[in-house]
Order: sequence, then C-alpha cells, then structure tokens
Amino acid sequence: MPKLFVCITVDDVSAARRFLLAAAREFSFAIEIIEDGIVFDASGLERLVGGPESVARRVQDSLDALGVAGRIGLADTADAAMLLARGGKNKTTVNSPQNFASLPLGGLDIERDTLNVLSDLGVANIGELLAIPRDELSQRYGRDFDRVIKRIEQRGERLLTPNIRESRVSWSFDLDQPVEDFEQLIFILNHGLERLFARVANYGKSSDRIDISLRLENRKWRRYEIKASFPTLERGFWLKLIDLRVSLEPPEAAIAAVEAIAHFTKPRPDQRGLYAVSRPEPESLLLTAGKLKKLVGTHDVGVPVLLNERLALPFRLDADALPVGKEKREQNSPRPVIAFHYFRPAHRAEVELCGRKIVHVRTREFSGSVVECGGVWRAASKWWEASGWRTQEWDVEVENAGVYRLALANGEWSIVGEYD
Amino acid sequence: MQQPATVCTPLVMSYLSLVKPLSHLREEQEHPDEIVLGSVGVSFRRGAVSEISGRASSGKTGSTLVLLAQLTAAGEICAVVDATGGFDPSTAAQAGVELANLLWIRCGGDVERSFLSADHLVQAKGFGAIWLNLSGLSMQKLRLVPRTYWYRYRTRIKETPTIFVVTSSEPLAGSAANRSLEMSRENAAWSGTGSFKLLREFHLKIASRKHYYEPPIYAKAEFDHTEN
Repeated sequence: MPKLFVCITVDDVSAARRFLLAAAREFSFAIEIIEDGIVFDASGLERLVGGPESVARRVQDSLDALGVAGRIGLADTADAAMLLARGGKNKTTVNSPQNFASLPLGGLDIERDTLNVLSDLGVANIGELLAIPRDELSQRYGRDFDRVIKRIEQRGERLLTPNIRESRVSWSFDLDQPVEDFEQLIFILNHGLERLFARVANYGKSSDRIDISLRLENRKWRRYEIKASFPTLERGFWLKLIDLRVSLEPPEAAIAAVEAIAHFTKPRPDQRGLYAVSRPEPESLLLTAGKLKKLVGTHDVGVPVLLNERLALPFRLDADALPVGKEKREQNSPRPVIAFHYFRPAHRAEVELCGRKIVHVRTREFSGSVVECGGVWRAASKWWEASGWRTQEWDVEVENAGVYRLALANGEWSIVGEYD
Repeated sequence: MQQPATVCTPLVMSYLSLVKPLSHLREEQEHPDEIVLGSVGVSFRRGAVSEISGRASSGKTGSTLVLLAQLTAAGEICAVVDATGGFDPSTAAQAGVELANLLWIRCGGDVERSFLSADHLVQAKGFGAIWLNLSGLSMQKLRLVPRTYWYRYRTRIKETPTIFVVTSSEPLAGSAANRSLEMSRENAAWSGTGSFKLLREFHLKIASRKHYYEPPIYAKAEFDHTEN
C-alpha cells in the first residue's frame, strides 16, 4: 500500500498547535509535532477520501475552517512532505518530479559553506543537485552528505515518531434549558462518556480519574474530581460514582452546561490469582464506600491509620484511602489482647478519694467501689506543650462493672473508655 | 505378585472420579467454611451471622479482633461498622489486625445509620468479615430495631465468604445467628503493688447460647504494654 504523509507548516506553532492537532486528528492518529508545524501519516485514505490531491483539498478545507494559514506538503515519505511544505511555491504542494525538483536547497540541512559553494557553482535547487553525479558529491563532501542524497532521491529513512503526549480527552454539552436536578443529566452524560471512552480506548489507554465541570445558571462553575482506585472504562460504574459524588455536594444553582474530562492511565490487568483470597470487586468496594459516605458523611468512611505520636487519640481515619488487601508476610496465630473501646463522648464521673487513693466511681451508666487501680499516667509526645500534660489517667477496675480508663483534666473526672 | 498397570487403571480411575478435583480441595483449604480461632477456642462460620454479647470488659472486642487479625493477615478485606465511634485502631494493631485491609465506618451513635451501613456492606459481597460493633449503644434503642434486619443480613450473606459478627452488651440477633456466644470476665489480673499496678490479663468465660450442652470455654486476654 503506498504511503502518504502530510506536513503542515505555520509561522507560529505555539499559537496554532491546538488547531493543527485538531486538523491532523481528522485524518490520523500517527502525528508528530515538528519545530515549524506538524506531520501525520494519512496512508490508506484512498477509499475514504481519494488520491493525494483530494486529501490535500480536505486538509486545506479543514485548516480554513479552523482559521489557520499554513502551507501543506504531501509526499510518499515524511522527509519529502516536510521539504514540500517548507519550500513549495504554492499553499498546497503535492509531490511530483517537477514540484520536488524546483525546491530550494535551504531545507536540506546542508552546511552554510557547502551551500555557498553550490550557489557559486549555480546549483540552486534539488533538480540541479540531482544532476551532479552522486559519487562526486560523496567524495567531495564526505559520507555525511549521503544523508542529503537520500533525501533528494526520496529514499529518506526518517520514521514518523508520534510525539503527542495527550494525557486527557474532554467532552462538553450546552443544555437548551438549565436543569435543577443532576440526575436529569445522567442520560446525556452517559452519551458523553460513551464518546469519551471510545476516544480513550483508541489511544489504548484507560482512565482512573474523571473531572466533571458544571456551568451553573448563575455563571459560576462547579467542579468535581472523581477518582477510582483502579482504571476502568465501564460507563455504568463511572455514572454511579459521578452521581454519588454530585449528590454528596450538589450544585447551588441550576446546571446550564456540563463538561467531562477523562485522564489517561494504563489499563489494568484483568487476571487475578486463581487461589487469591476473596475480596470485594474494586468497583463494588468503591461504590459501597461512596454509598456509605453519602450515608454517614465523607470523613467517616476510610482506613484507620496509626500516628507515631503519643496523643489522646493516636490514630486517624484516612477517608481518601480504601482497603488494599495486603497480605502479611509472617502470619502468626493471633492471640487475644485486652482491647480498648472509647466512649464518645467520655462519660462524666464522680470520684471519691481516700487520701490520694481512688475508692469509688459513679457515672450515669454504672457505679461501684474501685477494686484495683493503676496509675497515674501522663502521656504526651509534645513535651514542650504544657496542655498535653494536664490530663492524668488511671486504669480502674470497678466492682460489678468493668475495667475503665479514668481521666482527670481541668478538675473534671471522666471515663474515657473501657478495656474489653 | 504385582498386578499389571492396565488392569489397575480403570478401577483407580473410577475411584478417582469420586474424589474432589484438586482445585476444589485447594480452594476449600484457602477458604474453609469455618474459621477456627485456636487461641480463643471458638469458631465462626462463613456465610452466617455470629454474635458475641457480654457486659463491660467481658473480652468481646478483643475476641473479635482476633478474628479480624486472622483474616486480614491473609489479605482478606474486613469492615468495621463502628456504631458509636469507639473503635481503637491502636489495640487492633496490637492484636495483629492489618489496618490497611480494614474499612472503618463511624456512625456517630446513630442506630439507623449503623444498620444501613451494614446492609450496604453485605450487599457488596466479598468481605472476609463484617463487624457490626453495637457496644455502647443503648439497649432500649437496639430493641426497637426490627428482627427482620437480622434475617435480611443472614439471607444476604448466605453462600458468600463473609462472616457477619455482631457485638453488643446483650444478645440481639436471636435465631438469625448461627452462633451466639456470651462472654463474661471471670477476673482481671493485675501486677505490681501500691500505686504501681499494671493491668495484665482478663480471664474470660465463653458460653455458647446455641449449644446448651457444650461446656463453657475459658480463655485469657493479655494486655500488651509494649506500645504503652
């Protein structure tokens, strides 16, 4: 199958980059950005568009529609297309022996001294250079000149190197009438995600993050960043996740437009170990966590994390994390320990002292004599802060009740929790 | 005299067809129907509701943590529905629980939220254990919860690998529970003298409420002072 490369050059690439990419993507996925434009592989468009002339016309129409003034070159090799775009006399130049022979030598990466010599000899274009015997040129200018000879003979070995590192694709939709309820948009969003994910899949990628932006009736934007702990292109799953997220923090005004951006990531391997322990499916776990956050609050569902500090509560709940299913290397048989259970809030207590000894504890829940007592303890890793040392703690075993942690802070007694 | 292999093979093959395939045996070994906690002396059945009840300091939290430690160490994901927010990850870690495999849901003392959270979890399927920790909630409120909830949980987790554990001060699940354990503290052992005393051990008694003729089990829970 004959190859066909298209090169578009413009004066200011940085300004026209977005438009050049949009034009190139209408024809190809193999796109390379060069210093003065763009090159793409348009091979195989004969049945869809037609011959090189028809492709050239379509590219020109596309550039006109985008309002970009560029020079177009079409050839069998990427090198020749670039030379034609850079040196062609017309706005659009399709490769032909006459067109190629009339190209100036300036685009061939020949050293300035050599160019001056060739100019003095009256060699001004590729046709005139091709008339000189190749061996003479190689002997005179060395082996490096072979590269130039290959280019003018259109035997260039330059490969197209796609260098468009897209990291996301987007889709947007303007509504005719603003809608109050986000759920009314699910149908439209489903359609949008279908198109979005098809584009992501075309790149051989997947997505683990989708940004939803809602333009509200009051002209403000509301943005939601939705992350999954694994990449997936399953629309139903993403729709549920988006719906849960938006319902947690609904927009304050009616929605006038919606935009979705899918960020690329590597697809996940589907195969799991045959004898792997059973775990909830990642989709199911993420959706369940979302439902639970909607029910109990976003900061009350997550994974416990210990803090390496001596505090009243030396742990926190990481609401952004989800269980990972990590296996312990050493699996010893666990032994029962005396666990602790906090009272939230701490129970206020009345304490009777006999000298410095605690003899009786009374709360709304229980009352009794103290059978055993350990303490007093003080614990604070921030020793330089006086507040950390104000709390004194005792372990007390109360008759006909349990074993509790008793605390005294600011002159008030309280039961912090029970040992269980 | 040795029999020729050709005579023996059909007979052996016919017996082999009765034997479970190797993959099934491996799977059963990985996912036994019952999780036995050797150190406590009790077992929990997968796909069933188990409840542990007991008064203050009866060891129900410590015993449940042993179960979570065993499951999370093997890489299973477990969930804690913490009705009052009293769960202490520090002692859970001391018990051997792999905290990275634990989903913690704090319900702020709300009975309805606690039960609905457990409902969402049983629907998700695949959790090693779901611990509905109702300790600290008023029994008056808990008795108002319709019994149908327990049967709903039982039906949902049937034929799943999940162990559903409920801890509370009094038994709640009734006949929906496959195993109902009543725990009590025989005594607490302290070491040291005067004001230099340390809590060392709980001597516990575990009685099954479902199997009346089963003798009670005696176990002990130790206080881990290494991190305190």
